[in-house]
Amino acid sequence: MQSINVYIVKRLGQFFLVVFIGINIVFFVTHATPIDPVEYSIAAAASFGSTSPEAINMLRESLTELYGLQGGIWDQYLTFWKRIAVADFGPSVSAFPTPVSTLIGRAVPWTIGLLLTAIVISWVLGNLLGGLAGYYRESRILKAAGVIAMGLHPIPYYIVAFVLLIVFGYLWPVMPLGGGYQRNLAPGFNLAFVASVAKHSFLPALSLVLVGLGSWFMGMRALVSNIVTEDYVTYAELAGVERNRILTSYVMRNALVPQITGLAMSLGAIFNGAIITEQVFGYPGVGTLLVSAVHAGDYSLVLGITTISIIGVSAAVLIIDLLYPLLDPRMKAG
Amino acid sequence: MLSILRDLLRYNREFAAGAVLLAIVVALAAMSAFAPMPPEDVYVVPPDVPPSWAYPMGTTSRGQDVFWQLAFAIRNTLLFGFIVAILSRILSLVIGLVSGYLGGIVDRVLMSINDTFIVMPLFPILVMFYFVMKDRMSWAALALVMAGLGWAYDARLIRSIAMSLRTRQFTEQSVFSGMSTSQIVTQDHLPYVMPIVFSTTMNNINWSIGLEVTLSVLGFTNINTPTIGVMIYWANQHTAMTAGVWWWIFFPVALVIMTFIGLFLLAVSMNEYIDPRSRLSRMRGTRT
Amino acid sequence: MTAIASPAPGDVIAKPQREPVLVVSDLRAYYQTHYFGIVREVRAVDDISLHINPDEIYGLAGESSCGKTTLIKTIAGAIQPPLNVVGGSVRFNFGGAPLDVYASTPQARNAIRWRHLSYIMQGSMSVLNPVRRVRQSFIDFAFRHIGQPMPQFIDTIVAHLERLHLQANVLDAYPHELSGGMRQRVTIALATVCRPEFIIADEPTTALDVVVQKGVLAMIRGIQREIGSSMLFVTHDLAVHANLTDRLGIMYAGRIVEEGPTAEIFRAPKHPYTANLIHSLPRIGDTAPKKGLDGVPPNLAEPPPGCRFHPRCPLAMDICRRENPAMEPSGPGRRVACFAVTRGEPS
Repeated sequence: MQSINVYIVKRLGQFFLVVFIGINIVFFVTHATPIDPVEYSIAAAASFGSTSPEAINMLRESLTELYGLQGGIWDQYLTFWKRIAVADFGPSVSAFPTPVSTLIGRAVPWTIGLLLTAIVISWVLGNLLGGLAGYYRESRILKAAGVIAMGLHPIPYYIVAFVLLIVFGYLWPVMPLGGGYQRNLAPGFNLAFVASVAKHSFLPALSLVLVGLGSWFMGMRALVSNIVTEDYVTYAELAGVERNRILTSYVMRNALVPQITGLAMSLGAIFNGAIITEQVFGYPGVGTLLVSAVHAGDYSLVLGITTISIIGVSAAVLIIDLLYPLLDPRMKAG
Repeated sequence: MLSILRDLLRYNREFAAGAVLLAIVVALAAMSAFAPMPPEDVYVVPPDVPPSWAYPMGTTSRGQDVFWQLAFAIRNTLLFGFIVAILSRILSLVIGLVSGYLGGIVDRVLMSINDTFIVMPLFPILVMFYFVMKDRMSWAALALVMAGLGWAYDARLIRSIAMSLRTRQFTEQSVFSGMSTSQIVTQDHLPYVMPIVFSTTMNNINWSIGLEVTLSVLGFTNINTPTIGVMIYWANQHTAMTAGVWWWIFFPVALVIMTFIGLFLLAVSMNEYIDPRSRLSRMRGTRT
Repeated sequence: MTAIASPAPGDVIAKPQREPVLVVSDLRAYYQTHYFGIVREVRAVDDISLHINPDEIYGLAGESSCGKTTLIKTIAGAIQPPLNVVGGSVRFNFGGAPLDVYASTPQARNAIRWRHLSYIMQGSMSVLNPVRRVRQSFIDFAFRHIGQPMPQFIDTIVAHLERLHLQANVLDAYPHELSGGMRQRVTIALATVCRPEFIIADEPTTALDVVVQKGVLAMIRGIQREIGSSMLFVTHDLAVHANLTDRLGIMYAGRIVEEGPTAEIFRAPKHPYTANLIHSLPRIGDTAPKKGLDGVPPNLAEPPPGCRFHPRCPLAMDICRRENPAMEPSGPGRRVACFAVTRGEPS
């Protein structure tokens, strides 16, 4: 039981390290900037029409505290952390005076929903097909699946999403071009709305699944073709244990352990993909919000999304890391 | 190394296919040297002409010849990917070899930092970087930032190889014969690591081109330097798809997909060549 | 000549003669690889004949890479390309039900596994699935053969584990939670719980330290006697053979060069290779310096012509460089493949 505690402490430490380094990068970038974020944001806000003097003052105050100019660099650094600790990024400039945290809070469920669906489908499907392909080396269908997975895997999320949008949005318009749900529907928990959300999520999720599938497929296939030469598999084969049992409980079960680590390691990259995919389909998640914030010159929103992304992704990685010992009994005794 | 490449070309279908794909892409990039007009000029040819003998890939709504634009774009894109890959290779080699060889506390610290960069979502950070740099964001600055962020995954790979090398006998022999750490690393270990570096270079070029295309398409780079992403960006700006100017989109997308698949095939076939277990599995024949 | 020829009259196994459980005739199994256009052939098992009687422990000895492991894989019908059987046969006879391993269907082969034919493999570290509890392994391997409902089945296993001085709680452990000796006893329990007629043991004690090894060997002997199975016991460790096996076959470079009752072979080895192996064993009170063999075992991809031992043999004659000596009877229950023995000393 001792080593499991050490493991948990280590993973927690890694989580805080990621957050710490990430936030420092954010601080460094925002403070090394050649533009003055405060005046820049106020100019941007003015162009959106929210020009009442009190509003401007409120904005100036929160911006100055966030990016800036109060006190020496050390004071600035501490204030910056304090703001982040309470997730207070001040009001958004482009949607003034809505707080940045409210905007992000609205977008986050969409992103989490899309990511969770896509990750679960691609991970399960990719591992299943990859495991079968590694075990039944001769199957033509699985070989063909391998070729497709290998062909799709290296193509970046943006291109896959873009091609899907062109094919199913323009050339053969069976899918909506974008958005999260049909405009004339009121959000609520009813069949029409849920169906609409599902339909609008289909292409974004599909592009994430298509790209993700390949790496799980190939990873699992490689793992399985190594594991089948392990003594415990040979032994079970010699014992005449049924092939299905060997494939599931002996081969795939052991390959899942590194595949879980792989999932944790690639969450950041998958999140990048989700941001881009959302933008292509105008899906109302964090990614679309980020891109529109950049176009609108909304400094606080960009900063807020970047920070939340770093914390969110590392928290998700932490959760996977903490679930890992459940899958690998060797962790518990160490 | 040359004989390895020859064997791969001869016996490995994936490697041969990847090499052919990349040869086409590189040939097109080389054509840019013979372009009749500079890439930045607009309205030099009639706009919106579909592919024909005069304009094999058609012309854009901005009055540019898609073929010559594409030649410049792919040249810049490849160059970008290559520079990022070289720079980040240096980082990952140094960190991976040092970490794997020295081990202990150095290894633990370096790998914690390394894992941090693996987990970190880089895209929002790059977007934020563009956001604060705006027009000062040059092609070279982006390459530098991406190299600084994109070394981690491969450093881990190289570290694990260095660790296994460290425990081999010839390393001990070198230690006992009084070679310094840097001598051992460069003379004994680098030759083992080189094929892996080659394969990770291909993957890293893929990664950086993918991010560059994505950032450019969103308009988050210098949109006056033609790259594949910038071409798609302008096509989107002119709503090429709805306007029926499909060739403006089709050719850059097709070319960049060729590049990705070509690079990836080179990387996997090299990996397969290096991995003794998969070589073994080929020798073992097939399981039934 | 074949090994099926009725055993020599003076066979030391003084039991009513029954049919052998295993008959291997003229078996040849080669590794045939095609890699980058080059074909290689490694003759790991070359023309081997032997038989194993009921209730007998047959030992197989030889240095590493002499083909021992390939031979038992081939006997077990557990070969995969590039290892192919090129000629000969492997026939089992379980209670009057003959099975020719390489002339039967995979289903028929699978039907005998574990029920009649089981294994104790080397490397107890890695033969148990690391993410499955021991109980689960017993269920996977043995449940369908024993044909009892689950509670009784578990009782049977617990009772069986007790014979190997293991407690019932090992069933709930994961393999990494057991010591090396316990793990090896678990695999022995696993291999014997169905009371198979034939057990193949491949270096089962090699990875264990000497003290544990002794206990495990005694247990293997005890359980073999109790369930009355035959055993093919493979190890390079001659001391183990001396303590455990009834008959012994000595392998060199893919061939069996000498065979006979273990005690007889130790008392008077005939083949110069066997003689060298046995004389190199340390004995209490023996102070004479040990002399090893010059040279190394041949590369089986290009074995030397004639007798494969001749380049290292102190008795080599002209004929040894040209012809391969066949296994020929030489004394009661013994066979040897050496011209120097069967045709007299060189003149």
